[in-house]
Amino acid sequence: MKLTMGTVNISDLVREGAVHGDVYTDEAIFQIEMRKIFENTWVYVAHESEIANSGDYKTTVIGSNPLIVTRDSDTDEIHVVLNRCRHRAATVCQQEQGNANYFRCAYHGWTYSNNGDLTGMPFQDGYDEKFDRCKMGLIKVPRVGVYQGFIFASLSEDVPSLEEHLGHARKYIDYVVNTGPDGIALNAGVHKYSFDGNWKLQVENTIDPYHLSVTHRSFFNLIANKTGKKINFSKMHKNEKIRDLGNGHSLYELDGDLGIGALPFNLIIFPNLGFVGSQVRVTRPISVNKTHVSLYPIMLKGVSVEENANRLRKHEGFYGPAGFGTVDDLEVGFDRVMEGLNAKANGAEWLEISRGMNREEIDEDGIITATSSDEVSARALYKEWRRLMTKE
Amino acid sequence: MNGVLIDRKDVEAFLIDEASYLNDGKFSEWLELFTEDAWYWIPSNKDNYDPNTHVSIIYDNKERLGERVWRLQSGLAYGQEPQSRTRHLISNIKVLDQDDQSITVSSNFMIVELRRSIQTIYSGRFEHKLRINGNAWKIASKKIELINNNEFIGNLSFLL
Repeated sequence: MKLTMGTVNISDLVREGAVHGDVYTDEAIFQIEMRKIFENTWVYVAHESEIANSGDYKTTVIGSNPLIVTRDSDTDEIHVVLNRCRHRAATVCQQEQGNANYFRCAYHGWTYSNNGDLTGMPFQDGYDEKFDRCKMGLIKVPRVGVYQGFIFASLSEDVPSLEEHLGHARKYIDYVVNTGPDGIALNAGVHKYSFDGNWKLQVENTIDPYHLSVTHRSFFNLIANKTGKKINFSKMHKNEKIRDLGNGHSLYELDGDLGIGALPFNLIIFPNLGFVGSQVRVTRPISVNKTHVSLYPIMLKGVSVEENANRLRKHEGFYGPAGFGTVDDLEVGFDRVMEGLNAKANGAEWLEISRGMNREEIDEDGIITATSSDEVSARALYKEWRRLMTKE
Repeated sequence: MNGVLIDRKDVEAFLIDEASYLNDGKFSEWLELFTEDAWYWIPSNKDNYDPNTHVSIIYDNKERLGERVWRLQSGLAYGQEPQSRTRHLISNIKVLDQDDQSITVSSNFMIVELRRSIQTIYSGRFEHKLRINGNAWKIASKKIELINNNEFIGNLSFLL
């Protein structure tokens, strides 16, 4: 199938060093993204600490598909099932998180065990032997994988192993998990915010150090006033690296502490997971111009309450719906970009992501590296975006 | 703001004055209302918990609240460019606790915010702890329980 947008071919929307504005604004492209990207690769769905006990569950989404992630009451196995009754499609689970042995649809009473099996419905007559109850359980997501406590699922059977997909990003996830003496937990609540813009703007912004000294100048002025040390951004960018880790993933290695979080790097796992500051970040596309973002502070296991509290305060200082950093990104990086994208006349349609293409280095593993003001991360994202969007 | 608060009416006048500072953009004067050991808290996800073990939308001590106000006045706080226009409506005022040094007051609020041509309503419950300080009352803590604190909310860079 050749996917075309009017006269524009999807593969033509990403050029070397540039992306077309339609990738952020075109409703049809958004629908194709939901099918060709979110339903065709591994997507992060939960952390094990969120469903720690038998019978625990969490609801989430992959693309537009509502899901339930459960821990089997009997076997402790992790299941990921579609949150849609097999009878007349109502969602069977309403809570964000909880513990349940059964999910009972409140419409006609079809009941499923927490591994998804259909266990019964009111008034057993009305279905003959052709009705195979075994095949009428909640639909299972075909691939589920866990890496270091991070649970991923793929709606397509046809994906490489999770380990292979994470590839060079694995050792950075290992690092995150090892920051706590006894590991980590995502058990300190969540920052939730929303913006009227395309989801990829938030993902790109996750590794875009080029904007730090401009958009976030007031924050860094505050830090300088407090510490007496002013960051030399020009020097910082030369010392720092951004790496294209392959498969759409990318990494930003910080040069010292910027005052915004604990991790020495930002990591993007394609398509919508990030490790930033002291948080796990999940970016959820709602529509072509509506996005939900969830920030889960990473709590360390085996440290004092005080140490984790300090992490929370530092996180809140920059991030979240009222954080000094996030709010400026919402206005400048998202609202103003969405507004500017309306200007399409006279060849204005393209956005530049070419910075630093002239100084990229490629190592023997194929990892592409340039300095931290370069747009290596956006190029990595759109390389994988284009590959999946044009995959037959 | 001077004088001793004695009844609900005085408390109401205090809350109305506080809201006027916010609605009129007098942020330095507003900041002055807080004690040095004050905190300003907007819980995230739910209304009650220990902020040392659960993230908050805002959990500011006086120092960070001062930085928040400084930032808003710096000319570089893009999240407030354009600036929000707000109106705080306060009602259902109830004194929860009182002794000769302090008073704890619950009130309901509706804040209408206009920004980028969009009017947004925020609603919930304030809990103020006011403490006598010389001959004036100061805010020792202000907690803001938004009814939508577990929703995906927009740019909250204005002061509530």
